Amino acid sequence: MTLVTDGSPEAPPRAPAAARLATAGYRYGLLVVLVAVTVFFGAARSSFATYDNLLIVLQSVAIVAIVALGVTVSMTAGGFDLSVGANVSFVVMVTALAMVRFDLTGATAIGIGLLAGLLVAGVNALLVVVAGVPDLIATLGTMFLFQGLALIITSGQSVSAGMTIGGRPAPGRYTSGFTWFGSGTVASVPVPVIVMALLAVVAYVFLNNTRWGRALYAIGGNAQAARLAGIRVGRYRALAYAVSGLCAAVGGILLSARLGRGDVGAGDPYLMQAVAAALIGFAVLGANRPNVVGTAVGALFIGVVINGLTMLNAPYYTQTFVQGALLVVSLVTSFTLTPGRRR
Amino acid sequence: MEVTPVVSVSGLSKRYGATWALRDVSLEIAPGEVLGLIGVNGAGKSTLIKILSGVTRPTGGEIRVDGTPVDLRDPLRAQEAGLQTVHQDIDAGVVSGADVAANLTLDALAPGRSGVFVSRDRTRAAARAIAEAARLDVPLDAPVESLPAGVRQQIVIARVLSRRPRVLILDEPTSALSAAEIRVLIAMVRRLAADGVAVLYVSHRLSEIQELCDRVAVLRDGAIRRVFATPVEGPRLVEAMLGGEVGALTHEVRDGGEPVLRATGLRTRPGAAPLDLTVRAGEVVGVTGLVGSGKTELLEQLYGARPLVSGALDLDGRPYRPRDPGAAAAAGVAFVAEEREAQAVLPGWSVRAHVTLPRLRDHSRIGLLSRRSESAAARRVIEVFGVRGPGPEAEIGALSGGNQQKVVVGRWLEGRCRLLLLDEPFRGVDVGARADIARRIRERAGALGVVIASSDPQEVLQVADRVIVLHDGVRTGEVSAADASADRLATLMAGGADEGGGT
Ligand SMILES: Nc1ncnc2c1ncn2[C@@H]1O[C@H](COP(=O)(O)OP(=O)(O)OP(=O)(O)O)[C@@H](O)[C@H]1O
Ligand SMILES: [Mg+2]
Repeated sequence: MTLVTDGSPEAPPRAPAAARLATAGYRYGLLVVLVAVTVFFGAARSSFATYDNLLIVLQSVAIVAIVALGVTVSMTAGGFDLSVGANVSFVVMVTALAMVRFDLTGATAIGIGLLAGLLVAGVNALLVVVAGVPDLIATLGTMFLFQGLALIITSGQSVSAGMTIGGRPAPGRYTSGFTWFGSGTVASVPVPVIVMALLAVVAYVFLNNTRWGRALYAIGGNAQAARLAGIRVGRYRALAYAVSGLCAAVGGILLSARLGRGDVGAGDPYLMQAVAAALIGFAVLGANRPNVVGTAVGALFIGVVINGLTMLNAPYYTQTFVQGALLVVSLVTSFTLTPGRRR
Repeated sequence: MEVTPVVSVSGLSKRYGATWALRDVSLEIAPGEVLGLIGVNGAGKSTLIKILSGVTRPTGGEIRVDGTPVDLRDPLRAQEAGLQTVHQDIDAGVVSGADVAANLTLDALAPGRSGVFVSRDRTRAAARAIAEAARLDVPLDAPVESLPAGVRQQIVIARVLSRRPRVLILDEPTSALSAAEIRVLIAMVRRLAADGVAVLYVSHRLSEIQELCDRVAVLRDGAIRRVFATPVEGPRLVEAMLGGEVGALTHEVRDGGEPVLRATGLRTRPGAAPLDLTVRAGEVVGVTGLVGSGKTELLEQLYGARPLVSGALDLDGRPYRPRDPGAAAAAGVAFVAEEREAQAVLPGWSVRAHVTLPRLRDHSRIGLLSRRSESAAARRVIEVFGVRGPGPEAEIGALSGGNQQKVVVGRWLEGRCRLLLLDEPFRGVDVGARADIARRIRERAGALGVVIASSDPQEVLQVADRVIVLHDGVRTGEVSAADASADRLATLMAGGADEGGGT
């Protein structure tokens, strides 16, 4: 029989140094790398670490970040919105058409753009919630559908002021109020950056401090447990896609305003970048789940690296590879360094 | 000692943050011996087993197999040393989405044990051999997730047996099994022990422990307090576990007041005979029957978790027809599902978040959650149900199985509740805590109706006022707890006619 000592022995053994290092690396690794990369670029090019360049970096990632916020929300409920890129493109086309072809006001174009985003979300919700199609496949379908629709409504052409439609010049053009959203500034801060900051704060509060956010995370964590706790899983999943669709629509409006014209497929590249930002976010602060802070850091990370490489005169065609490498590294961080995987 | 123990541990300890899950534990098991391990929820049983199976590493101490020290660095090492474990959480042991044959032959996928290609025929032949050796009778092509928990567990056990264990470690193997399945398991353990396998057997069912084990070790607060040689009387075991007396498990049978739920023409499944059910305020109605007798089907229909087969329901005199669990919860109906891991636990979430999940609305204003209100609710559940563990902010996985169960039962009693439906609520809960939970539920039952389903007739009698017995989806009897015995319930559960005095 063993002697029983109550009260804990002094000098408690500590976790092995390696394990603690892994935990720290998992929580802070990505932030440390971000800081290191920033310092490196700052040392290499004096023009990098300046306020003006910070604004340029933020401006360059604003739309990606906004779209990524929506992707993040769709992921919290266990979904995955692959239609955001097509959504952005569709909204660009719709807003361009509204102003150029139909000579509507900027405000109306914004309203129509948001509705277009909700339409995409509605199709997603219909497929996923009502028809029960798996998220990835359903949103892939939606993606093709709206890429195609954007082509049909513009007869496959770009939309810009002065274009001819049926032999006559288009009646309208981008209003200056509308383009302000793309190129205007408030106290030297670009409008898209302000919109991004506002949406990030709203998304943060929504996901972390409201009961709706809690319910979304519950569904992502264990949908069956959430359902049996009385959460209307179907409604919340539809809500998640609605938020995702709206974010993509905002991104589309800002992009349209910046371009000042409706380019075919302008929004398509935003899918990969937004998904990458959201996935990189998993590795920030050890969250290991979709989260707003992580997504913002992820988007910033992409922006910093690309901006820095551009300053170092790296050719533009290396950018995709660099983003891919970033994504892979953070996936490895969040999936292999996870503490407590052996429990 | 004449025989070298197969496995012996000495001075073993394990620390999680500020809690010592194990302190200075020493034990040995001889070949052919069945060693029982008991202790209240959170005593450290699963922790010891996780260490022996290589899932967790100890903070200190030594493990020897056949007298040689071993380092059980990962589960594969433990398996190579002949230590084979069936863990408490069944779903960690099966791969859902795969069929039974694939699950039985998972080991063949480990490196170096087979060729590159998996042949369907060979898989099936191997699976059939494994199933036969374990006397397991399930269709090999059934998807595992379609099977009841008891069968899933038998699959895990069969697979473990195929590795020819020298030491077989079973963590609460019977908590999800019916009486008949338990008999099969016990017979199997006996056979293995007769063949010289050493067995470490964890259970909260003392009758099983007394019947099966050669020695019984009692853990309390992470330390071994006593080791008994059997036979030993139940009360001595309980006293050693709790460190004191256990409150009596009896209660006064009540009649209940106004009906809360009235159901007519209900069917457990299409084609079964209809049954009527009335649950009154202040009354606890027990539903018992073998696994597959329709208890879960019945409760889930009342909660809107599966479509109503037939009949009409009314709640507090108003028609009640929940379209989904959300509607049921909004009407004041609460439901604790049978399988905690799959149906209630959110991995990585805190105890607080589990407590408040069903009532998020009560803890928020204009949608914003109030941390303070949430914490208060969590602390109340911890306090009222005696949840042992590191507090409301701890991750639920840091609680022992039984304490997790207290959280998922207790959370529904926070806030408005008219009808409480509990499916196997005492699974994995120790005797002391079972009495506590039952008492709390009975206290609260003054204002609400309670339905408790369990395949253990003894358990049902301990808490219910009235017991409905199901067999094969059909009601075979209804008796008052005052004049029912476990034997009589067992007869009814087997489908026998009720010859005892009716109610
Ligand atoms: N990962 C963990 N982190 C922190 N504490 C833990 C962890 N796992 C277990 N514990 C703590 O260790 C103690 C022993 O837990 P253990 O699971 O071994 O209990 P148990 O005897 O198996 O109980 P039960 O009968 O309820 O299954 C508990 O106080 C528990 O809270
Ligand atoms: Mg346990």
